Amino acid sequence: MKLADFQSLFQQRVLAGSGEADKPLLKKLRPSPRGAAPETLLDVYQTGYRIRLADFVAQDHPGLRAILGDEAFDSLVDDYIDQCPSRDPNARWFTTGLPDFMRENARWRDDVAAVSMALFERAMVDAFDTADETPLTVQALAGFAPDDWARLAFEFDPSLMLLELAAGTIEAYGAAISEEAPANVDKPAAGDHIEYAAVWRVDHESAYRQLEPDEYVALSEARAGHAFGDICQMTAFQQAGEIAPERLAQCLSSWFEDGMIIGVRVREDDQSSNTPSSA
Amino acid sequence: MEKPPPLGYGLGLRPIYYEEILSSRPPIDWFEIISENYMLAGGRPLAMLERIRADYPVVMHGVSMSLASTDPLNFDYLRQLKALAERIQPAWVSDHVAWTGVHGVTLHDLLPIPYTREALAHIVERIQRVQDFLKRRLVVENASTYVSFVDSEMSEHEFVREMAERADCLLLLDVNNVFVSSFNHGFDPVAFIDGVPADRVVQFHMAGHTDHETHRVDTHDQPVCDEVWALYEHARRRCGDVSAMIERDDNYPPLAELLDELQNMRDIDARLSKERALSAA
Repeated sequence: MKLADFQSLFQQRVLAGSGEADKPLLKKLRPSPRGAAPETLLDVYQTGYRIRLADFVAQDHPGLRAILGDEAFDSLVDDYIDQCPSRDPNARWFTTGLPDFMRENARWRDDVAAVSMALFERAMVDAFDTADETPLTVQALAGFAPDDWARLAFEFDPSLMLLELAAGTIEAYGAAISEEAPANVDKPAAGDHIEYAAVWRVDHESAYRQLEPDEYVALSEARAGHAFGDICQMTAFQQAGEIAPERLAQCLSSWFEDGMIIGVRVREDDQSSNTPSSA
Repeated sequence: MEKPPPLGYGLGLRPIYYEEILSSRPPIDWFEIISENYMLAGGRPLAMLERIRADYPVVMHGVSMSLASTDPLNFDYLRQLKALAERIQPAWVSDHVAWTGVHGVTLHDLLPIPYTREALAHIVERIQRVQDFLKRRLVVENASTYVSFVDSEMSEHEFVREMAERADCLLLLDVNNVFVSSFNHGFDPVAFIDGVPADRVVQFHMAGHTDHETHRVDTHDQPVCDEVWALYEHARRRCGDVSAMIERDDNYPPLAELLDELQNMRDIDARLSKERALSAA
C-alpha cells in the first residue's frame, strides 16, 4: 500500500472511531508481542483523538458546559468533532468555529442561551492572544486643547470585542468560573431579552464587563472612529436613550481606566488625523 | 558533525510554572517551548516567553510540522514558525518523525508510519525542504508509537539513522519514547540507542508514561520510571554531552519534583564522568 493510501485509511479510521470498518487497517498491523489486541492498540489513536479535541473545547468553554450540563455538552462536542474536524495545525484554533457550528446546526441553533455563551467564551479566548498594544491613561487627554475635545476620536485595543448576548449570559459565566461555583449554574431563561458586554485583554488576562445599552452604543460608535462630539448627537438617532456629554465623559473615563484605549487623535473635518506628541 | 553546543539540563516550559520560574529563578539551564503555543499575535504566552528568554537559552519544539504526511508542506505554518524563531532565536528547532493528518485535516497527534523505502525517501525530501526554508538544520525526534505495520521494510532505528544521514538533520532522542515503543513492539531499546547516529544527537527527552500492562502510552503525566532512567544512562554513555530535559504535560507536580528529576540527571552524569575519569587513569 502506498504511503498516501495508508495515511488516508488510517485517518479515516481515527476520525470514524473504532468499528467493523477498521478491519482493512487492522490487517496491516503487526501482532503485539505483549498480547494486546490490535483493536486496543488502534483505539489508542481513535480514543485519544476525541479526548484531545474534547479537552480543547472543555478548556475554552467552562460556561457552556455549566449551562448545558455534562451530558448535553458532551453531545454537542461529539457533534462538533464529527462535523468539523480540525484543519489548522495549531490546536488553538480548533474551538473557534464552535459558535458558528451551533448557529448553523438545527440541533443547537434554537438554544439561544447556549449560542450566546459560546460566542462570549470565544471572545474571551480570542482576546487572550490578540496583538499587543500599550493602553493609554486618561492623562493622554491633557495634551489636547479644550476646543478640540468635541473632535477627539479614539483608537481601541485590538482585543476589544462588543457583544450582544442573551440576558443572563455574563452572570452564568461568572458563576461557572467562580472558585465557589455552585453545583448547577442556572441557564439563562429563553426570551428576547439581551444584554451587552465588552470583552478585551488587560494585563495579559482576558477581561469582561457588562455594558449599559447607552455605553454599548457609545463604545460601538467610538470604536468606529466617530468623534466625541458626534457620538453625543448620533446616539439620539439610535434610540439608545440620550447620552449627555457628562455621561459620555464618564464612559470615556472608564474606557481609559479599563485599559481599552490605545490612541487619541483630533478628527479633522476632512477626516485626517493629528496625534499630539503626548498621546 | 557540527552540532550546537550542549545547553545542560532543561525543562519543558509550561504556563503553570511561569510565575515560579520568573520569581525564584530555579536551577534550570534552559527551556524547551512547544512552538505552536507561542505562534500567536500577542498576549501573555509571548510576554512570558520573552521574559524567560531574556535570561535562559530556549529551544523550539513543534508538534505540527507533519514531516511524514503526504499532504503538501504547510508553508503558512512554516512561515509562522520561522517568524517565531527569528523573534526568539532558539538554539534549535525540532519536530517529529510523524504525520498529523492528510487531506487538509489535522488530528493533533503524532501518527505512526510504516518504515518503508517510500516513507523514508518522502520524509528525507521534506526535511531537506524545511531546512532550506528555515535556513537551519532541523532536529527530528523519534515518536512513541502503539501500532507497527506489516509493510515496514526496516526497523525504526534503521529508518531514523538513514533519515538523519540522508537529510543531514540532527536528532532529538526521546529516551522515554524509545522505551515505550520498544515495549509496545518488542524491540531492544538498547539496540535502538546503539543504532542511531550518536554524532547527530543534540538533545534527550525524558518523560513519564502510563502502563496499561499490554501496552504503554506516552502521556507525560508521570515521573520518569526506573527503566527509562536506566536507558538514559545508556544513552548518555553512548551520546556523551547532550542537552537533556524533562517533559511534563499533565498531572503537574510542584516544580520542585521536576527539579529533583533534573538533579537525578546531573547525578547520573556526574557518576558517569567519574567512572570515565577512573577508567582513563
